[in-house]
Amino acid sequence: MRKLRAFWIRLLGLIGTRRNDDDFAAELESHVALHTDDGIRAGLSPEEARRQALICLGGAEQTRQAYRERRGLPWLESLFRDFGYALRTLGKHRGATAAAILSIGLGIGANATIFSMVSRFLLRPAPMGDPTTLLALQTTHEGDECCNNFSFPVYTDIRDQATSFSGVAAYFEMIPASIGGSGEPERVFGQAVTSNFFQVTELPMVLGRGFVNGEESAPEVVLGAGLWQRRFNADREIAGKTVTISGHTFTVIGVVTPAFHSVEQILGTEFWVPLGSVAQLAPILPSQGSREDHWLAVVGRLKPGVTRAQAAAELNTLAQRFAVANPKTDQGNRFSFDQAGTMPPHERSGIVLFLGALMVVVLLVLAIAGANVANLLFAQAASRQRDMAVRLALGATRAGLQRQMLTESLLLGLGGGVLGVVLSLWATRTLSALHLPIPVPVDLRIDLDWRVLLFAFALSAFSGLLVGVAPSWAAARPKLANALKGEDALAHPGRRISLRNFLVVAQVAMSVVLLSITGLFLRSMQSAANIDIGFRSKGLLMMSVDPRVHGYDAPRTIAFLTQLQQRVAALPGVLSAVTTDNAPLSNTTRSDDFHVTGVADKDKQNINTELFMVTPGYFETMGIPSISGRDFGGETATGPKTAVVNRAFAERVFSGSNPIGQHVADGGTTYEIIGVVGNVKARSLGEETRPILYRSLQQSVANDPSFLGYTLVVHTSGNPAAIAQAVRGQIHALDPAMAIYNEETMEEHVRAAYFLPHLAATLFGAFGFIGLVLAAVGLYGVMSYAVSRRTREIGIRMAMGAQPGTVERLILSQGLMLTLIAVILGWPAAWMVSRLASSFLYGIQPHDVITFSIVPAFLTAVALVACWIPARRAASIDPMRALRTE
Amino acid sequence: MGEKTDVWQGTLALMALRTLESMGPLHGYGLARRIEQISGDRLQLNYGTLYPALLKLEQEGFIRSSWGLSDNNRRAKYYELTRAGEHQVKKAAAEWEQTTAILARFLTSAEEA
Repeated sequence: MRKLRAFWIRLLGLIGTRRNDDDFAAELESHVALHTDDGIRAGLSPEEARRQALICLGGAEQTRQAYRERRGLPWLESLFRDFGYALRTLGKHRGATAAAILSIGLGIGANATIFSMVSRFLLRPAPMGDPTTLLALQTTHEGDECCNNFSFPVYTDIRDQATSFSGVAAYFEMIPASIGGSGEPERVFGQAVTSNFFQVTELPMVLGRGFVNGEESAPEVVLGAGLWQRRFNADREIAGKTVTISGHTFTVIGVVTPAFHSVEQILGTEFWVPLGSVAQLAPILPSQGSREDHWLAVVGRLKPGVTRAQAAAELNTLAQRFAVANPKTDQGNRFSFDQAGTMPPHERSGIVLFLGALMVVVLLVLAIAGANVANLLFAQAASRQRDMAVRLALGATRAGLQRQMLTESLLLGLGGGVLGVVLSLWATRTLSALHLPIPVPVDLRIDLDWRVLLFAFALSAFSGLLVGVAPSWAAARPKLANALKGEDALAHPGRRISLRNFLVVAQVAMSVVLLSITGLFLRSMQSAANIDIGFRSKGLLMMSVDPRVHGYDAPRTIAFLTQLQQRVAALPGVLSAVTTDNAPLSNTTRSDDFHVTGVADKDKQNINTELFMVTPGYFETMGIPSISGRDFGGETATGPKTAVVNRAFAERVFSGSNPIGQHVADGGTTYEIIGVVGNVKARSLGEETRPILYRSLQQSVANDPSFLGYTLVVHTSGNPAAIAQAVRGQIHALDPAMAIYNEETMEEHVRAAYFLPHLAATLFGAFGFIGLVLAAVGLYGVMSYAVSRRTREIGIRMAMGAQPGTVERLILSQGLMLTLIAVILGWPAAWMVSRLASSFLYGIQPHDVITFSIVPAFLTAVALVACWIPARRAASIDPMRALRTE
Repeated sequence: MGEKTDVWQGTLALMALRTLESMGPLHGYGLARRIEQISGDRLQLNYGTLYPALLKLEQEGFIRSSWGLSDNNRRAKYYELTRAGEHQVKKAAAEWEQTTAILARFLTSAEEA
C-alpha cells in the first residue's frame, strides 16, 4: 500500500523536475547555513565553518544525485530519455523513417486484416453466457465423415435422459418469411426454437424476455436487434405489440442482443419463434414423430462441474441405449459435440486451410518488409559508427547504446503498427462490403476487435525489436580505432557473406514463394473467367418472390406465377419471362439420386443429379442450347411427369443411347425424359460439370415446394436493370403485400459467383505486389550501399584502366548472383507451398508450368532493374573524385 | 568519546521518526544534530544521506514538510510526523525491539556456552 503510494508519487515526481530541484537546492543551502552558524558560534572562522559543514554533508553533488534518484524512477527516466532521443533521431532521418514505417505498416496491415478474419471466424466466442459450457451437439452415423442434425424424438430422449446438461435446446435453423412493419414487406429469415432455448443459451436481451416453459407454441416472437432497428425504428415499447410474419400475427416479447445472429455465428437470422408455431411458417416440415428426419440443431448447457469428457461418455452410453431400443433407426448412430458458436465442423477445415494459407502469405509479406527495414537500419548503423564510437570513448556502455538503437527500431515497429491498423481498418471495411453469391443471409462482417488490436500491437513490437537486434548489435560494436579515424568500422575484412547479403537473399527467396502463390491465383482467376457457364449473362433480370410465406397454396402459387409471367412478358422491351425455383450458380440446389426405371436392382446405377424447376421457355430465355427432343409445354399439375436433362445426365445415365422417351426415377417420382439441353454450371464455377434434371414447375410446386421461393427471369432487349421498377410494379399489382428479394441482373449474379476466385486473386495479388515492391527496394538498397562502400575501390579500378562497362557488369553480376541464389532457394519452397493452395484453384494445377516459369524470370528481371540503377552510378564514378574522397 | 559507528542500514528512518515524535517539527540539520546528540555522539551521521531518507518517508506518507523560520531567523524546511507516521513509529519500534531481543538471546547464550 505504502509502496504503491510512494511509486505514484515518484511517478509524478518525473513531472516538474525543475521546481523540485530548486526546492532541494534551497533546503541544502539552508542546511549548510545553519551548520555554518553553529561552527561560527563554536569559534571557527566563517570560511572554516562553511568548509566543515560541506565536508559533513558528504559532497553536495552526490547528495543531490541520491535525492534525485529517490525522488523519481531512474529506470523510467532513462527509458523516457531513450524514447526522446530515438524520436529525435528518427525525425532527423525522415526519408528512412518513412520508408521503414511504410514497410512495416504494409506488413502489419496485411497481417491485421487476415487476423481479423481468423478472430471473427475461429476465435470469437458467441455472446451466449459462458461460451465454454455451451455445446453444439451433432449426430454422426457409422461410416459417415461428418455429422447431421437431430430428429425430434432423439432430441427429446437426450433432453430427458442426459444428466450432464442443465438444459438441452433444439432449433430449426432457417425459416424464410416475409415480415410486415414500416414500408414494403421484407423477406427475412428466422429460427424456430424450443421454449428453453433462451434459458439454455443465456442470450442477453436488449429488452423484454425470451421464451419460457409453457410457450411451446405461443404466437410470440423474439426479434433480432438489426430487424428491430430497421423495421420498427428501435421502438423501446415494442414488447406486447404484434407483428405480421408471413401473414400470421405474432406478439413481440423481446429483442435479443445485436451481437447475436445465430448460434454458429454465420447465418444472419433475425427472428425467433417457438418450435410449435413453425408449422405455420415452414413449408413441408419433417414429421415430429420420425426418428429419421434430421431437421433440428441442438445445443446443451453443461451442468457446473461436469467435464466435456464426462458429457461425451454419457452421450456414448445414451447412443448405445437408443440403438438397443430403436434398432431400426438408431443402429450405428453416435453423438458428438463442439463448443457452440464455433464454425460447424464440415465447414471449418476449409476455412482453416484458407485462412492458414493467407496467414502464411501475410507473414511472408511482413518478413520481407522486416528484412527491408533491417537492411535500412544496417545502412544507418554504418553511417552512425563514428557517433557511436565517440559515445563509447566518452564512457557510454555498449548495452546502453544497443538499448538506445533497439528503442528506435521498437518505435519504428510501433509506428508501422499504427499505420497497419489504419490500413486494415480500410481493408476490413472493404472486405465486409463484399456480397456472397448465396440466396440465404449470412453475417460475414469482420472488424478490428480487441484480439486483432492486441495481435497487431504484439506483432509490431516484436517485429520492431527483431529487425533491430542485429543492426543494433553491430552498431554498438564498431572497431573503435577505425571509427574514430573516420574509416569503415563495421566492415569485417575477409568476411565475404555479410548479414546484409544474407537478408536480401532471404527476402528475394521469400518473394519467389509469395509471387508464385500470387501467380497461381491470378492464373486461376484468368482460367475462371474462361469457364463456360453454359447460359447467357447479358440481358437478364431476376427477382424472387415466395408466395407460400404469404399463405398461397400450390394452385394459387402457380396461378400467381403464370399471371405474373404473362404481365411481365407484355411489358415493352421484354422478350420473354420465365420462372425457376433457383437460378444456377447460387451455391444451393436440390439434388437427388436418379436411376433408369425397369432395370434390375443389381444393375441399378444411382446418379446424383441436380434438380431445377422451370417453366416452358426457360432454356430459350437462359440461352441454354437445345440438343434433342422438345421443351416443356402443356404439362398439367396432375398429368404424367416430364423432365428435360442436360448432356452430362444423358451421357452418364444412358451412355450414348437416345434418352428421349426413357423413364428415370428418384425415390418416389418417375419422369419421362422429353428433351436434352446443354450443360450449365449448377452450383458454383469451380464444379465439375454435373448431371442436371429439369422438371416442370407446374408439376412440382404441389408435392415438393421450393424452400427458397421462386425466381422470375426476365429477358430484355435493352438494359435489364432499367425494367426492374416496372416488374416490381407488376408483382405489387397482383399482390401489394408480396415481398420481393434477391433482385439482381444475371451479370451481377454471375459476377458474385466469381467471388471466391476474385477475392483470392485480389488478396494474393495485393500481397504479392507489396512483397515484390519491398523486395525490389531491398535489393536496390543493398546494391546502392555496396556501390557507395566501394566508391574508392571502383575509382582505383577505373584509374587503372577499367572501362565503365566492366564496372557496370561487376556490380550487376554481384546483384544477379544474389538473386540467382535466392531463386534457387525459393523455387522449391514455392513448389511445396503451392500444394496448400490447390483446393482454391480453378482449372489449373498447383504446379502450373506457366506460373513456375514466369515468376523466376519476372523476378530476375525486376532484380536486374533494381541493380542496374546502382550499377550505372558505379560506372559513372569519376576516378579523380573517388580517390580524393576520404 | 570512543569509536564512532556508522548508521546501520534501515535504522536511520526509525531514528528520524522517533526523534520527530519526541521533539516535534524539526528541520533537516536540526534533526541530524538531534540524532547525533541522542546517540551520545557515538553515531557518525553522513548528513547527505538523511535527505533521501526523509524524502522516502514523505513519499510513504509518514512525515510532511513545510518551509518555516529557524530560531536564528533562517529559512528552513521543517519536517513533522503525520498520523500514519505515529503509527509507524510504534510498529517499527516494536519490531526493532523484538529483533534486538532475539539477537540479545543469541549473544548471551553464546557467551554462556
